[in-house]
Amino acid sequence: MKPAPFDYVVPETAEEAVSCLQKYEDDGIEATVLAGGQSFVPLLNMRMARPDVVVDLRKLKTLKYIREEDGVIAIGAMTTKREVEESELIQQRQPLFHASTLEIGHLQIRSRGTVGGSMAQADPAAEYPAVALALGMEMKILGTDGERIVPADEFFITYLTTEIDSTELLTEVRVPVLAEGTGWSFQELARRHGDFAIVGGAVTLRLDGGVCTDPHIVLFGVGATPVRMTAAESAISGQAPSAELFAQAGEQGAAELESPMADVHASAEYRRHLAKVIIKRCLLEATERAGGSVS
Amino acid sequence: MTAKIPQKLEDLPSSEPRWVGKDVKRIEDPKLVTGLADFIENLQMPGMLHCAILRSPHPHALIKSVDASEALKHPGVSAVLTGEDVLKWTNPAMTVPDGWGVYCLATDKARFVGEPVAAVAAISRSVAEDALELIEVEYEPLPAVADAKKALEEGAPLIFEDKGSNVIHKRLFTWGEVDQAFADADHVISDSFRWNRLGANPTETFGVVSQWDLLENSVTCRGAFQSSSHFALGRAATFGLPSNRVRIISHPHGGSFGGKGGARGTDIAALLSRKADGRPVKWIEDRMEYLIAGGGQSWDRFYEASLAVNADGTMTGFKVKLLDDIGATGEGFGAISAAKPLAVFTGNYTIGAAQYDMTLVATNRLPQSPYRGMGPPPHYFVLESLVDSAARQLGMDVSEIRRKNYIQPDQFPYIIPSGNEYDSGNYEACLDKVLDMADYQALREEQAKAQEAGRLVGISVVNAIEPGVFDWNAYSAVGMPGVGVPEGVTISVDVMGSITVRVGFSLEGQGQYTLAAQLLADYFGVEMDQIRVVHADTASAPPHFGPGGSRLGVALTGAILGAAKKLEDKFLAVAAGLMQTEAANMEMVDGWLRIKGVPDAEMPMAAVAGTMLARSDLLPPGMEPCPEATSVWTAPGRAEPDEEGRCKSYLTAANACHVIMVEVDRDTGMVEILKYFVVDDCGTRLNPGNVEGMLHGAIAQGIGAALLEEYVYDENAQPLVSTFMDYLMPTINDVPDTQSAAMVTPSPFSPLGAKGCGENAIHLTPAGIICAINDALAPLGVAAKEIPASPNRLWELIQSADYPQDK
Repeated sequence: MKPAPFDYVVPETAEEAVSCLQKYEDDGIEATVLAGGQSFVPLLNMRMARPDVVVDLRKLKTLKYIREEDGVIAIGAMTTKREVEESELIQQRQPLFHASTLEIGHLQIRSRGTVGGSMAQADPAAEYPAVALALGMEMKILGTDGERIVPADEFFITYLTTEIDSTELLTEVRVPVLAEGTGWSFQELARRHGDFAIVGGAVTLRLDGGVCTDPHIVLFGVGATPVRMTAAESAISGQAPSAELFAQAGEQGAAELESPMADVHASAEYRRHLAKVIIKRCLLEATERAGGSVS
Repeated sequence: MTAKIPQKLEDLPSSEPRWVGKDVKRIEDPKLVTGLADFIENLQMPGMLHCAILRSPHPHALIKSVDASEALKHPGVSAVLTGEDVLKWTNPAMTVPDGWGVYCLATDKARFVGEPVAAVAAISRSVAEDALELIEVEYEPLPAVADAKKALEEGAPLIFEDKGSNVIHKRLFTWGEVDQAFADADHVISDSFRWNRLGANPTETFGVVSQWDLLENSVTCRGAFQSSSHFALGRAATFGLPSNRVRIISHPHGGSFGGKGGARGTDIAALLSRKADGRPVKWIEDRMEYLIAGGGQSWDRFYEASLAVNADGTMTGFKVKLLDDIGATGEGFGAISAAKPLAVFTGNYTIGAAQYDMTLVATNRLPQSPYRGMGPPPHYFVLESLVDSAARQLGMDVSEIRRKNYIQPDQFPYIIPSGNEYDSGNYEACLDKVLDMADYQALREEQAKAQEAGRLVGISVVNAIEPGVFDWNAYSAVGMPGVGVPEGVTISVDVMGSITVRVGFSLEGQGQYTLAAQLLADYFGVEMDQIRVVHADTASAPPHFGPGGSRLGVALTGAILGAAKKLEDKFLAVAAGLMQTEAANMEMVDGWLRIKGVPDAEMPMAAVAGTMLARSDLLPPGMEPCPEATSVWTAPGRAEPDEEGRCKSYLTAANACHVIMVEVDRDTGMVEILKYFVVDDCGTRLNPGNVEGMLHGAIAQGIGAALLEEYVYDENAQPLVSTFMDYLMPTINDVPDTQSAAMVTPSPFSPLGAKGCGENAIHLTPAGIICAINDALAPLGVAAKEIPASPNRLWELIQSADYPQDK
């Protein structure tokens, strides 16, 4: 299990990385960016990824930061998950993002894996893409023509595919702080702790005048990208929270799923069922965190 | 001539044993856990090449041609091996039963996905893997046999055409008047069960460095070998060499559990070395190779079984029909694990008659390998599940039906219907101890409350006999000949009195080097660090087998004590001469040779050994200057089986009782283990901490088997499991804190009364978890009969139940 031969470059700056990528593109050379390597290196070793060049971002220390700017937490793409896990700012200002971080693999994986790497990898069973969608994060992408900002709901295209062009680099992930009074939940159903979820859910909602408002319900592990459950969201909007309502939302959400994945751990039918369970459980927990009670 | 071996701790020549029977820290662990042991991957040899293996992507395909010419031209490549070479230079692998073996590379056709087809030796593994991509193989895919049931279908493709059938072995054993027992029974409890493929997954995969000596025409293989002398014989047969032309040097390895097969890799590396002018060739199996085509797959079984029970709960008969998928060939000795249940067929119970209808078949799955427990764990899953069903049907508590059927302490030694003899035990005391520890009544009350609240909480009480110290006769039922398994050691004392013991096995994690040092330190009254334990390879070791079948602790104790006694006798003779008395007047205590009853007339063992080596003029006539002794132990009283396969096979019968409480999530089918209690009795505990370690590891593996681990194949025999994302090993998060306690009923037959304990809880944990799950599901009227009880499977069961679904 050794990679096929490849060239290896280590740019000193993000700009240099991008100009490298542009040059390879122009020369018809296939280049792949290496961040924490937790998904990419196994693919490389199994020869399932066979780039001509690996562009290693390990020297881009300037892309390692977590800071708050006007109600948004800006996270440098090379920030590790372990650094997110240990950030007091994120613990206090964005508890959903923090909670989801703890579910990613194991400590060793979080110590290497990066925030930008997970977003760019866009594994449909991964935690961060789902949270990005639920929280309305934004991705800052650098190209030779400069920066652009892409909202999460336009960022994830399909299985392992994002808006990032082969000549671009994801440099920053922008996470809105969790507004006061927002209830949230992040839950996974997995065979073991640390595994990719069979089905997971990320939910936020608010309670205004005893009814649910502004619900965001995102499931992951069920399709080619994380999925926003719009039917389930409409089902609860403006309604008083209740176990029955949330069960209905679960039914609607599950029905909304096009064709859930099937693998050795879970059939499509079982996944669809678990989608129902996780929607209900997340809604109950989010309601509780929003200060509500469920009839 | 065999030396008299102490049967009890008190019989050691020690006024107060300081090490044996005590919690002793393992001397080998610092090296193993720091990675400083000479694991095979760390070994570098001059001129060494690296091997990569090209494997069949097809489960069943004719090999029309193999063109390796481009690979051979690739820079850095020294040799390429194909089927043509192995046809010329080797024989097909030996198998049990005989005649189901193939060459180390597929020659005519590939019989499973991952079967080696060609191999390359190059300057690095990367280059070797690059070269594999240049080898062109033309396959003609054949229809595949995907599982054991399909293997028996009319017109099924044949794995070995010349056999005319896929049945590797079929045999019906009948012990006692079993039909009568069923005819007379008040109830017959019958059911079908499925145990899916799973197996050993040691931390380190297999690895080897093989070297062909072209001048001597001999082979030396260094690697992670579990049973090196046995392995050497297999290599000699494969290579057509005299057995003393194969030298196997076992390196410390990161666990085995039966998974360190490695025959094909060893042979391929050796043949590449032969082609590469005798340069050493290293092959390190990677985890994908291990999972798809390594030594990790065992027990792929369909069961139909029945229990005859009377209205009072007395069990009188047990019938088992087994269909086991051995895989594409017999090379992994998978068949012998179907025979091992004969050693414990009727468990802890006085069931008087039994029947075993065994059918072993070939398919296009990976050949089975041994796995810790070697066969009884699925058997107990069947037996204990039926006992619970009987209890449920009779309205008895699961602990009471067991109690009613136990072999009683005064019945030992006890011969079970399938022929093995249990040495000793007190099963009822073990049951009472664990029920007490678990506060069983309180557990049942807790369960009732949970059930009232709509939760699916269940409790199991299961027990098993853990057969210890295997003998080859146990496997004669499937064509493995032989009686007796030797384990030998050589003890040497040097001129300074330092003691070295040479053993035929290497480090594998079981703590046997520590045991050797404990025994010798107490025997000769020295500190443990004065003992050095070294591995002797097959060129110099006394006859030995090494770890396997829960034998090594007992067998090693026998060998060490036997050799120590021989040495003691020499020392007594020399010391008697020096003190001008008769040996009969002397004794050795705590390492001092002294004249009985004469104070201060004594000399230390080291002085005697030093005299032997440095002052031959002072030795008694005829005494060689050799403070060294070899002893080879094998279990006493073993014999060939009778026509129904009956024999005394395993020397010791440890026993254990587990109480487990689980909760099944009604919505998801996911299982949480709430409480876990164990009492086990493996006789004298030579190093209690080590036994405890064995227990916890075996529980973890049992939990993996019950809930997580499964080698899934699709309907065309393609493996769907190739990484640890698919094959789920239990982690620390999945294994609960276990409360455990020991009982000690020494064996009357074994050295120091110790019983085999190396496999222990894996016999029982899978059965226990499933029985607890089924107790939880009982209110729904459904039961799990398939292992592993994955959440998907349990959810389907819950869905099938006739009860109001949760909203």
